[in-house]
Amino acid sequence: MDLLNLQWEVIWNYRDMFIRGVGITLLLTLAGYCGGIVLGLMLGLGQVSTKKWIYWPCKIYVDLVRGTPMLVQLLIIHLALFPTIFGHSLGYLASGITTLVLNCAAYNAEIFRAGIQSIAKGQMEAARSLGLTHGQAMRKVILPQALRRMIPPLGNEFIALLKDSSLVMVIAAPDILYASKVIAGATFRPWEPYLFAAFLYLILTYTATKIIAFIEKRYSNSYIPRKAKGRLAR
Amino acid sequence: MIKIENLHKSFGELEVLKGIDYEIHEKQVVCVIGPSGSGKSTFLRCINLLEDITDGAIYIEKVKVNDPKTNINEIRAEVGMVFQQFNLFPHMNIIENVIMAPMQIRKMSRANAEALAHELLKKVGLDSKAYNYPEQLSGGQQQRVAIARALAMKPKAILFDEPTSALDPEMVKEVLEVMKNLALEGMTMIVVTHEMGFAREVGDRVVFMDGGYIVEEGTPDELFGNPRNDRTKAFLGKVL
Ligand SMILES: Nc1ncnc2c1ncn2[C@@H]1O[C@H](COP(=O)(O)OP(=O)(O)O)[C@@H](O)[C@H]1O
Ligand SMILES: [Mg+2]
Repeated sequence: MDLLNLQWEVIWNYRDMFIRGVGITLLLTLAGYCGGIVLGLMLGLGQVSTKKWIYWPCKIYVDLVRGTPMLVQLLIIHLALFPTIFGHSLGYLASGITTLVLNCAAYNAEIFRAGIQSIAKGQMEAARSLGLTHGQAMRKVILPQALRRMIPPLGNEFIALLKDSSLVMVIAAPDILYASKVIAGATFRPWEPYLFAAFLYLILTYTATKIIAFIEKRYSNSYIPRKAKGRLAR
Repeated sequence: MIKIENLHKSFGELEVLKGIDYEIHEKQVVCVIGPSGSGKSTFLRCINLLEDITDGAIYIEKVKVNDPKTNINEIRAEVGMVFQQFNLFPHMNIIENVIMAPMQIRKMSRANAEALAHELLKKVGLDSKAYNYPEQLSGGQQQRVAIARALAMKPKAILFDEPTSALDPEMVKEVLEVMKNLALEGMTMIVVTHEMGFAREVGDRVVFMDGGYIVEEGTPDELFGNPRNDRTKAFLGKVL
């Protein structure tokens, strides 16, 4: 380490950029993820639809997005799609969030599809045989069961998105990684800013892992609420 | 009350039902017997359109079930179904299992639905388990809840698909007992079963299916006492 002669005060001097970077990273990730959940749920439901005109567009969308790099999607949206639609490029937030939502939705769609299909067929049949519509059966019977099984993969997807959000650096969105790049350029010191960026991502993913583990634990194994369990034990 | 005309059902190339004509009258208990793979479940599932019908027609109280204009959800609400694997909803406690459909579909208030549920759970002997979860119940208890759940929609008929086949022997009786009481109260029932004792005692008619056809049909005495068809004789020879 002596060899590198690390000077950590560089980080302190540029702390404002890092604070902003963390904010931007979190904003992009959270917005992308929330949008990705809503759109992903719709695409996932579309992929279990028996109606071909619903199934195929959803399936093709998901396969296209999952089959191409997010970096390519980001550049198409930022440099081609938005300028073509609006006549000029939109800011990094619009392009960044749009890309993250559209990308995350495709991966979440697969999680929703697999989760829904993992629920035994008999559950849907029992619900339908009582007279529930497909939508009612989904809402009351299938999704509440499937969602529990989706918690771990949805958590993984959040962490993947948190890390992948660093790609927005290429459209000059001032996130954590972009801050490091600017600082490295300005100070001619690559080690400290990039190491610190890695450290910040690590803290964020570690925190997210802990929160996900907590949620997972709460909803794992048994459907019986703890309250009801206590009542039985007594 | 339920009229089946020339019912055909194929899964791809495989024709499973090859032209079934049958009529079930109100308050009748019809037991369907036959070897495994003969199309008994498919027959039952066609009646409430869990399978779509390849050809033919089914009428429930003069309403053509497989008519595009018929609201299939309304039909299903009138015809209960009890499955071999119970299919209770594991994320709901017992009373929620029973009240969910009446509240969703009949727009019953929670208070009314719960009162009804307690009454039905008493009837199947499980009111004390109202706030337990399915996984805390034995198979026989779960199946009795499934019957209560079907009854909560006040159906005009109930279809049973081998309701005791997944049960340990000591639990078969408690479920058959509940079904027998339903029959005595005048519920219209179609029961696919391997319980020949039940078919003989409770059934008004017994239907023998084989190879996608109804081979023979009659009162329990006729069918068990004096089967005419050779295939019926062979089947009964094996199971009795
Ligand atoms: N969903 C399905 N797809 C393809 N074949 C099926 C399906 N359901 C049932 N079958 C076939 O139809 C035949 C009759 O099945 P079923 O009605 O379940 O008979 P049973 O209830 O009398 O044992 C069997 O050969 C079975 O393999
Ligand atoms: Mg069967």
